[in-house]
Amino acid sequence: MTPTDALQAWLALEHEAVWLYPVLGARFDDLVERATTSFEAHRDTRDAVLARLRALDAEPVSAQLSYDMGALTTAAEARAAARTLEAGITAACLTLTGATEDDARAYAIRNLTKAALAEMTWGAPPRAFPGLP
Amino acid sequence: MTRRVLLGTGAAVVVSAGALAAAGLTHRLDDVAEAVGIEPTPLPDPEDSRILRRASKATAALLASLEATAAAHPDLALADLEVIGREQLTALGGTTAATDVAAPPADQGAALTALEDAYGLAATQRATDAGEAFSPALVRVLASMSAGHVQTARQLRRLR
Repeated sequence: MTPTDALQAWLALEHEAVWLYPVLGARFDDLVERATTSFEAHRDTRDAVLARLRALDAEPVSAQLSYDMGALTTAAEARAAARTLEAGITAACLTLTGATEDDARAYAIRNLTKAALAEMTWGAPPRAFPGLP
Repeated sequence: MTRRVLLGTGAAVVVSAGALAAAGLTHRLDDVAEAVGIEPTPLPDPEDSRILRRASKATAALLASLEATAAAHPDLALADLEVIGREQLTALGGTTAATDVAAPPADQGAALTALEDAYGLAATQRATDAGEAFSPALVRVLASMSAGHVQTARQLRRLR
């Protein structure tokens, strides 16, 4: 996988996060604060990844109008959807670490750590190898 | 003799997805490869072997500290973290057998703080290793371990 492909895969998930967290915040009062913090973090990350792709002269993948994240009718389902998404971002960042060098790799590692902690924020337990199958 | 590994055999050293052990077998595998006429594949980079040994030694010390803390403070919920530590060490091909660590603090809170600090330091070290490694598979394993250490540090903070 090229660095551009890995960035595009990560960006697609950041688009999804920017869509998901406002939905969770709107539906569940108990999750508003956490969802707001997550939304702001992912919005900033999305913009940063977009900028990196444009710097590579790549056309960034677009956001979808909506995403199928399951029913999202209970807070437990909402937290599970968030955990699944954050785990996907962890894996995408990990893929990028092996496809890049120097500053780009360091950037991927920093964001891998952020995503691994975000998994825990939404209730996931710690793992030996976050992002690996 | 050049350091080589056999790929695609039952004795392969697989540098991916947490299966990094057995680098020490490579010299013997060279002989086996030549005897059976298989063309071995060179290890990616000698520096990667050094990084892997360093990570294995550090991970052994980290796990030994965790196990010592668990033994000294049995009421702490550290069993799941011990499982994680053993999984990481096994993937690197290490062992705690010859690892000596200082006794953990008698105070429970201080013991947790010491462990959290140790995991934080290890996370930084493995991230640095991941930045320096050559093999993409090793980069990913080390980067993932670093993230795992950060998760463990957060879990230790929650126990305080």
